[in-house]
Amino acid sequence: MSQRIEVFTVSEDGRAVTYQKNFRKIAPGITQIKVADIYTIEGPIEDETRLNDCLRSFTNPVTQKSFVFKEGQSPANDYHSTLGDFQWAIEIGFLPGVTDNIGHTAEELISLTVDRDKNVFSSQLILIDGDVSKEDVEKIAAELHNPLIQRASFKSKEEFSNDNGMDIIVPKVQLSNQGSAVDEIDLDISDEDLAKIGKEGIENADGSRRGPLGMSLLYMQAVRDYFKAEGRKPTDIEIETLAQTWSEHCKHTIFASPIDDIKDGLYKHYIKGATKEIREAKGKDDICVSVFSDNAGAIIFDENWLITDKVETHNSPSALDPFGGAITGIVGVNRDCLGFGKGAKPVLNRYGFCLADPRKDLQYYRGKDQSNPTLLPDTIMKGVVAGVESGGNQSGIPTPQGFLYFDDRYVGKPLVFAGTVGLIPREINGKPSHVKKANPGDRIIMVGGKVGRDGIHGATFSSEALDEGSPATAVQIGDPITQKKLSDAIIKEIRDLDLYSAITDNGAGGLSSSVGEMAESSGGFELALDKVPLKYPGMQPWEIWISESQERMTLAVPPNNVDQLIAHLNKRGVEAWDIGEYTDTGRAVLTWDGDVMMDMAMDFLHDGLPETPLTTSFVKGGEPEPDFAEPEDHAQTLLEMMGRLNIASKEFVAAQYDHNVQGSAVTGPLQGKGRVFSDATVSRPLLNNERGVVLSQGLAPRYSDIDTHDMARAGLDLAVRHALAAGGDIDHLALLDNICWCSSDEEQRLGELKRAIHGIYHLAKRYQTPFISGKDSMFNDFKGYDENNNPVKISIPPTLLVSAIGVLEDVDQAVSIDPKQPGDLVYLLGETNDECGASEYYDHLGYLGSNVPEVKSEKCYKLYKAISKINKERLCASSMGIGFGGIGVALAKKSIASGLGMDITLPDELRFDKMLYSESQGRFIVTIAQHDKDQFEKLLDGNDFVQQIGVVTDSQELEINHFKVEIDKLETAYKKPLQDY
Amino acid sequence: MSANSLIIAGYGLNCEEESAIAFERVGFSSQIVHINDLIENPKLLDNFQVLCVPGGFSYGDDTGSGNAFAQKMRLTLQDALKNFVERDTLTIGICNGCQIVVNLGLAPACDKNYGVRQVAVTHNENARYQCRWVDLKVESNLSPWLQNVYTIHVPVAHGEGRFMMDDDQLKILKDNHQIALRYSKDGKAANGEFPYNPNGSTDDIAGITDETGRVLVLMPHPERGMFAWQRDDYTRLKDEARRKGQSVAEESDGLLLFQNAAHYFDINQLKKSA
Repeated sequence: MSQRIEVFTVSEDGRAVTYQKNFRKIAPGITQIKVADIYTIEGPIEDETRLNDCLRSFTNPVTQKSFVFKEGQSPANDYHSTLGDFQWAIEIGFLPGVTDNIGHTAEELISLTVDRDKNVFSSQLILIDGDVSKEDVEKIAAELHNPLIQRASFKSKEEFSNDNGMDIIVPKVQLSNQGSAVDEIDLDISDEDLAKIGKEGIENADGSRRGPLGMSLLYMQAVRDYFKAEGRKPTDIEIETLAQTWSEHCKHTIFASPIDDIKDGLYKHYIKGATKEIREAKGKDDICVSVFSDNAGAIIFDENWLITDKVETHNSPSALDPFGGAITGIVGVNRDCLGFGKGAKPVLNRYGFCLADPRKDLQYYRGKDQSNPTLLPDTIMKGVVAGVESGGNQSGIPTPQGFLYFDDRYVGKPLVFAGTVGLIPREINGKPSHVKKANPGDRIIMVGGKVGRDGIHGATFSSEALDEGSPATAVQIGDPITQKKLSDAIIKEIRDLDLYSAITDNGAGGLSSSVGEMAESSGGFELALDKVPLKYPGMQPWEIWISESQERMTLAVPPNNVDQLIAHLNKRGVEAWDIGEYTDTGRAVLTWDGDVMMDMAMDFLHDGLPETPLTTSFVKGGEPEPDFAEPEDHAQTLLEMMGRLNIASKEFVAAQYDHNVQGSAVTGPLQGKGRVFSDATVSRPLLNNERGVVLSQGLAPRYSDIDTHDMARAGLDLAVRHALAAGGDIDHLALLDNICWCSSDEEQRLGELKRAIHGIYHLAKRYQTPFISGKDSMFNDFKGYDENNNPVKISIPPTLLVSAIGVLEDVDQAVSIDPKQPGDLVYLLGETNDECGASEYYDHLGYLGSNVPEVKSEKCYKLYKAISKINKERLCASSMGIGFGGIGVALAKKSIASGLGMDITLPDELRFDKMLYSESQGRFIVTIAQHDKDQFEKLLDGNDFVQQIGVVTDSQELEINHFKVEIDKLETAYKKPLQDY
Repeated sequence: MSANSLIIAGYGLNCEEESAIAFERVGFSSQIVHINDLIENPKLLDNFQVLCVPGGFSYGDDTGSGNAFAQKMRLTLQDALKNFVERDTLTIGICNGCQIVVNLGLAPACDKNYGVRQVAVTHNENARYQCRWVDLKVESNLSPWLQNVYTIHVPVAHGEGRFMMDDDQLKILKDNHQIALRYSKDGKAANGEFPYNPNGSTDDIAGITDETGRVLVLMPHPERGMFAWQRDDYTRLKDEARRKGQSVAEESDGLLLFQNAAHYFDINQLKKSA
């Protein structure tokens, strides 16, 4: 027996109005929409007083009215009059097992007045009035829900009346598994069958497969040989564990493998290598404290604090469920921050989305005959934007800095980047905060949420290309509030009580990864799987072990502290469980009711994976430089350039991400009174400490079409340059790399990868900017069909995102992009070359070209050192790194931001259109007060390309050489394309 | 004289630290107290002169923003809270705190009807979270929090900030001078125009008080606009000052509310370095 509470909003409702606006695109005849929030309670609340107490917490009497039904009951007398006229009722709810945060809150509210174990499921009812056909309702229902995680049902007015409303649905998980069954797997089989297990998973009794392990034949053979030597067959859970631990996602095998003549692999040789060399060269000025060894990297903030940073990708899940993928991405990387050292406090989030054009209806299918369609670009964009909004805002972490980049090759695999910056005292209780170690004898304590089937095979699945067999259970939805409670309890209270030896996050691979990794320092573990709390009964042991249910951290706790730790957490509404012990036996052991179900050598688990040497090839891309006439109407061309998606304003995202929470924002994502979207932001994470943190990012994926070497170096240069434009100092700047590649089993792609990494190795060394953390994602390919059943493979352009984090001695060094006063001087710093290859300008004209921008590192470094000094002298009234769209776009953005015109004369080094739109790297547009001219130029002494190109004016026009454009026209062109999203 | 401010935390509230800094800055001794600790020991309130329910996302805004947290407080702390506001104390609810205090019925509490919800703070008109700076006009000199304050430039950041009530209730608030703050455009009424009125709030209302003025609830965030460096026009102000050979003033509008609270309790404003 279940009970249904319907809460109708009877006053004007912003949600209903927005639905109406959106659905009228499908059914123009809609006249009115009403929205009701539904709570379905399993097991009714009988007591009238208690029920009324609950209703009070679900209903706002000023604007809402609620009704309660039990199954089979007629509604109250005023039910139909409250609903008023409508033609259709649509209800959207979750599928069984999907995280239902509203339901979860409702359970907590009921537990305040009734008892603890009521299950509550939320859903939303939408009543539509007007002339709307059944087909339209089907379309609206389709737009309202993602069938992977949600259900939709609808009824006509007549059906609704006859049935006394919608049906009561209780989406409870029912598993038929017997729970503790462990299967022994025979690996003494043919290589073909072995390979099949690796690709499709272990076979169930009914012949179905459990889902991809992502293990190559070589790996499967190594597993077979190990257990032959052990003299027994492996259990299913042992194979699943190895698949997780050895996955590309966890071991970064491509990045670690010998490649051509680089025996120690790209990661160790180039990325870690650059950092090592930079740290040695900087000596006492080294800013690094913890690099590549923890959940995040850390640099010095000041003598008392470290600042940490980590940027993650969450691409594959976001293709299937954009909202869930993105929210899980952001709250997941928050945990990387909590899991740094003894636990860092999240102080800033950042984000980035690489997407297909949301205005295009690009439709593909994962299966044949138009089955299993991909989500449309518009749906994906709205979903990922909303996911980070929900996760970031609810967590109380400001999200100032980010980007959106558009290329239609991201249609099947959007890239979703999520990053979190943390702060941690350098010492806690007299010990370095970044050092942690699980000791033998420490208890394994799992903290946070319970375990369900969420995200089974997330780690192995994200290492594979997306195709028809991609598992839906790989999708999870984050619960930011559960995590916020956990985060506050750990970071604001428990951390400083010295109760635990080590902490790490439960991310990809779940317990199998977190416990497995922490146990490396103690030398083994023994964990009782039957002690792990479950969301619902019936899960198999291997599922419990690798589940990626969110909002969990794993701690290593000395036995004497366990009771105090758990009691303290419980007092904060956070659950924790003692599930095992770290040992020094050298074995990884799992038990169920005392019976051993896994017992492997730690050495084999972590280092048993066979090396796979890689070889590469490389052919440079590009086309001949185009031969075309200079456009006649430069004003018109500039307006068109401003409206290109990679240049246009992303204000709609920035305005819905809380960038002011914690009170730390100094220069934000929207700058000047014209609110221009910025490439870098400055924050003051400690309100009583004048130091600032500058964040920026850089990427140039289309340059890969000519040469990944230049794509990667441009990304790095852009990140560094944007940080310097915002007031940064190149001597206190660190980098993070996120490598998102495609088809990394092909020699050409691996060759492109090697060139890219080689390129940034040298550039980072020249700039003396160390890498402190990174992440790679190697198979961003979509495989499926078009509407005519033609096989389609869409690979993303190889994408390297470089994120920069730097420290400002004082936030009053911060510089914004908007010019400040008429009469100020406008400078172009840096060299402009004929480098329009793969630029926004060429793409606008339909060309690719071959002259891709090359970073001239010596000249750049000299200029950047000078800019750092100029920043310390506070000489820039405004500053901006020149990015996509070149000088023309940069000048236009500056005029929009300030509302001030400029009178500019560009040198005639190149044909005028190329001068305007070349994307040569290493350049800035800076404005200064006239009286700072001498000092400014003196500090730039010895730099070749320092040119005063004009002045700021009080006119409403931007004038460049022989053409001019009104600022409000530029602003409209810049803001229009994405403003309605 | 000294006075103590209590700032509530927990279950997704998230502005407690910067709110505590605001009170400390003007001379209060402030303490962040987890709601569960307050529930365990409601007598704690007796030691405090100011109660602050700060901004945040309590219970993820599920079941309506502020509703769930208010329910938790109502079931456990109703008498203690009523006693607190009936003493000569000050209470402020900011953003999510505003939603909570309104749902608790501590504001506007017309006719001393504490505990009854008389207005709603609900979904923004455009159903979209808004993080942006706004200009506020102080509309009543009733509240101790707003003495000698006329305009305020501070940010909002909320998805449900739209004050809604029926016309009778609106008239009562007007007649009682309980409408404390309105969104404005160029010094005049915003008249519901987005983005000056960022959420479609009835009559441009950004904040209201109880009948005494001692309980103030507002959707904008004064603690995010208390220093010049927090302002959206900071680099312009800084640049202007520099050209005059000056430094930009350290403090900004948001701090005025906290300073007024300090005046109310005769705190000698020992300025602590920020």
